[in-house]
Amino acid sequence: MTRVVEVPVQFDDRAFDQFARGYSAGDGARVLFDAHAAQWASPYGLVGLLTAGQALVEQGAERPLLTLPQDRDVVHYWARTGFVRHADAYFELHGKAPKLTPRGESDVLLELTPVRGADDVHEVVNHIQERAAAILTHELKLEAAATMGFGMALSEACQNIVEHAGTGGWVAVQTYTWRKRLGRRVVVIAISDAGVGFRRSLEATQAKRFGDRWGDAAALEAALIQGVSRFRDPGRGQGLAGIRRYLNRWQGKLSVRSGAARMTMIPPWDDDVPLADQLPFFPGTQVLMIVPAHSE
Amino acid sequence: MARIDLKDILQHTVSSVYGDLVTRPTGQAVRTSIEALLPDADEDLAIIDFSTVRLMDFSCADEIVGKLLLQYGRARYFLLVGVHPGHEDAIEPVLERHRLAVVAQDRSGSLKLLGAMPEHARQAFTVLANSGPAVLADVAAKLALSPDTAREALEVLRERHVVRESGGHYQAVRTA
Repeated sequence: MTRVVEVPVQFDDRAFDQFARGYSAGDGARVLFDAHAAQWASPYGLVGLLTAGQALVEQGAERPLLTLPQDRDVVHYWARTGFVRHADAYFELHGKAPKLTPRGESDVLLELTPVRGADDVHEVVNHIQERAAAILTHELKLEAAATMGFGMALSEACQNIVEHAGTGGWVAVQTYTWRKRLGRRVVVIAISDAGVGFRRSLEATQAKRFGDRWGDAAALEAALIQGVSRFRDPGRGQGLAGIRRYLNRWQGKLSVRSGAARMTMIPPWDDDVPLADQLPFFPGTQVLMIVPAHSE
Repeated sequence: MARIDLKDILQHTVSSVYGDLVTRPTGQAVRTSIEALLPDADEDLAIIDFSTVRLMDFSCADEIVGKLLLQYGRARYFLLVGVHPGHEDAIEPVLERHRLAVVAQDRSGSLKLLGAMPEHARQAFTVLANSGPAVLADVAAKLALSPDTAREALEVLRERHVVRESGGHYQAVRTA
């Protein structure tokens, strides 16, 4: 038996819960992720899809199948982001997978990159810093100070995988113009892991304090609002607070989904909800950071 | 006086490839190296040079600045040089969280107090930073504070090792 999980046609953060619903309805059957009709996927969608495959493989499930997009341009884009190359490790791929080498000059600031250890974080920050500086200041018209904070936010978000997930994760960074949604250019950072999630990471130290309220949403509240960490070291827990400060300063958006909850720091230009609970379960943690161009 | 170049330490202890102070293990390694270079005498000044550091994240700021000051800040004098606003964005929250303070000096020699400090103490520091060494009465007069309030402010600065006191003269920590 094979169970089909449809990959949304427009696969971004807003379609993610639909994807997670399909994923979480598992019954032990081999999973076929069907992306043949996909027209577009954001970095958030692509790291999420990789995470789904990784989670199944790490759980010992039969290697899932993935049908690649039929549209030539779409599948080329997926290849250009590095998705197809990494997906080969977790999925049995079906469809024409183009062999592309990164072009370097595209709007893909950082192709899909694995994050497993501190060295990977160094590599990510080192790779992206100069290009990010050019894009943030010239294309997004942000002050030079935005560049430094961008690297800090990226580093801290990637470190969350290394320190808390218990397994590897993925990061991708891209810039593009949101014509309908915002009417401005944005830089999007998407990070996802197939790890234990915030609830399990913080359970030993925080569950008792929250009592009956304890769950994915309470764990996100503890980490994002209260700056709590599973480590006793009082210096821990500053990373997410720092990311919040940075995005708040530049009118950016931060969304963290873990387990069955999602907490969002909403900028004035967005109409998301601050907290969504009882969502379809999805393994690990997914972080979305959006930095918009300065509005004239 | 010991001058400690963070980029040198980063390249010797962690990697000659990367120039950014990111990740907690990197911060721990750099702090351990700094500790080995601290002057023998507590009264000697340790200058930590950020000039060649492009980027520092919160984890490194916590390990390098926060933990160093928590461990040694009540007994030793530290001065951060070459600190730019991006570094401050990482250092300030760390200092606030631990209720610490440290002096930063820019390339022109101007001093800035980073971190948590009561308002009167912060004002007194500004007087010392801008006008040079001063006695209690001068500081009280410049800030229109009572002698007791000014003394309290200066004592806070002295205890936090951001100001030195000698023979009744108070002086902000600086290179020269």
